[in-house]
Amino acid sequence: MSALRRNATIALAIARKDALAELRGRQAVGSTIFFAALVLLLFGFALGPDSRRLAEAAPGLLWLAIVFGGLLTVARLHQLEADDGALEQLALYPVDRRAVYAGKALAGAGAMLLLGGLLLPVVAILYGVPLGAAWAPLAVTVVLGSVGFAAVGTAYAGLTVRMRAREVMLPLLMLPIVAPLLLAAVKATVAAVAGDPFGELGAWLQLLAGFDIVMLIAGAATYGFLLED
Amino acid sequence: MPQTTIYVAPRLGGAHGSPPPAVDTDGLARLFGRSAALAGVSLRIEAGRTVALLGPNGAGKTTLLRILATAIRPSFGGLFIDGVDALRHPEIIRTRVAYLSHVSGMYDDLTASENLRFAATMLGWSGAEVATVAERAIAEVGLAPVADDRVGSFSAGMRKRLALARLLVARPSLVLLDEPHAALDEDGMTLVDRLLGLWHEFGITVVVASHQADRVVRAADATVRLHGGLVAEVSGSGVRAGALAPVIPSHATPLGTIR
Repeated sequence: MSALRRNATIALAIARKDALAELRGRQAVGSTIFFAALVLLLFGFALGPDSRRLAEAAPGLLWLAIVFGGLLTVARLHQLEADDGALEQLALYPVDRRAVYAGKALAGAGAMLLLGGLLLPVVAILYGVPLGAAWAPLAVTVVLGSVGFAAVGTAYAGLTVRMRAREVMLPLLMLPIVAPLLLAAVKATVAAVAGDPFGELGAWLQLLAGFDIVMLIAGAATYGFLLED
Repeated sequence: MPQTTIYVAPRLGGAHGSPPPAVDTDGLARLFGRSAALAGVSLRIEAGRTVALLGPNGAGKTTLLRILATAIRPSFGGLFIDGVDALRHPEIIRTRVAYLSHVSGMYDDLTASENLRFAATMLGWSGAEVATVAERAIAEVGLAPVADDRVGSFSAGMRKRLALARLLVARPSLVLLDEPHAALDEDGMTLVDRLLGLWHEFGITVVVASHQADRVVRAADATVRLHGGLVAEVSGSGVRAGALAPVIPSHATPLGTIR
């Protein structure tokens, strides 16, 4: 078996394992989605009943909810490994660490996509934003945003999973790094919803794609060191 | 119980065709903060030997096994396994070492079968082999009736059996066992004893730490007794100990010394 094929097999096995564990731990998945939806609802209360104001804020609030829900998701995907010594066992398997990173990031991106996909209609309903016409650019934005967030989150969750204060350290370390992603995703969402009147959507999507590529390369290069003692 | 299948790593040739020592440590020490869990262990274990690692709590048995497994790095000292520098090439060592730790390393939300298939994939099996070796190993440790149950519902003893099954899916030249009899019923302990015999028969080196001294000494070629992070005594054949003096800095305190 070639090294590339072997790494793809390893990455898919890890992603499948994480997806199975996530789907079977329904309470965790359900809680995250419920939490993110609740964040959207509370933002709505905080901003008041002004429908125009809500619609204007909707892209930013959507991505904040995705980021908050995503923090829980990437942390939990590594918490699965911390239970009963699975992380140490994972580190002892004779596999390329880049494949382990790819598998964890793939699972994270999948979970983020699910979260983003479910929150879009919630935003449309709660804030009265017509998303139907913009579904294609919105889908690309959510895909690129999810991949970027998972790329960063997987590396940082690997870094913090052994820390005692990991619940605090993960957002503390990660949020500054995902700030450019948040900015680009919000701007792309605003442009997509408005029908891209200034032709800036492509540039924001390119920025998101660039962020994803850089973070995936950086994550794959460093994750192996994070798994070591 | 079905016939047990043992997979073995290919031998690595040493100088003049003689096999290198399975384990060769030079002053291994490990500090946790200012405490030394290992204070300088120099051991040479010939290939194919079964070695019982004995000693009181805090003697350094688990730390030594974790270093041999490449789960943690030593603070000082050198380590060669099958002639390969384990500190420079842990990725090679991990293809040759199977390690049973205190914890199972299994995923609660996956079934026993799914856990073992995952392990088999990670250990290099591919395609149809994955299911075959996983199911065979599960049957060999007596878990076939609960193969499709989630591990979260397993007792400590069943988890230990499943972790033993993972060893059977590996292709090791060195097996490291940390308290393999713990949490097991009499049948389970007999299974461990039988596996110890099979690994010995197949020429696999085994280092086993246990408080079931009678059981492991019976199966072992040699006994190494640790105390305070140092080798206190070596007996039997196939094992040599180097200098017994600590190599750690003077500010560190052996973990085994209770103050």
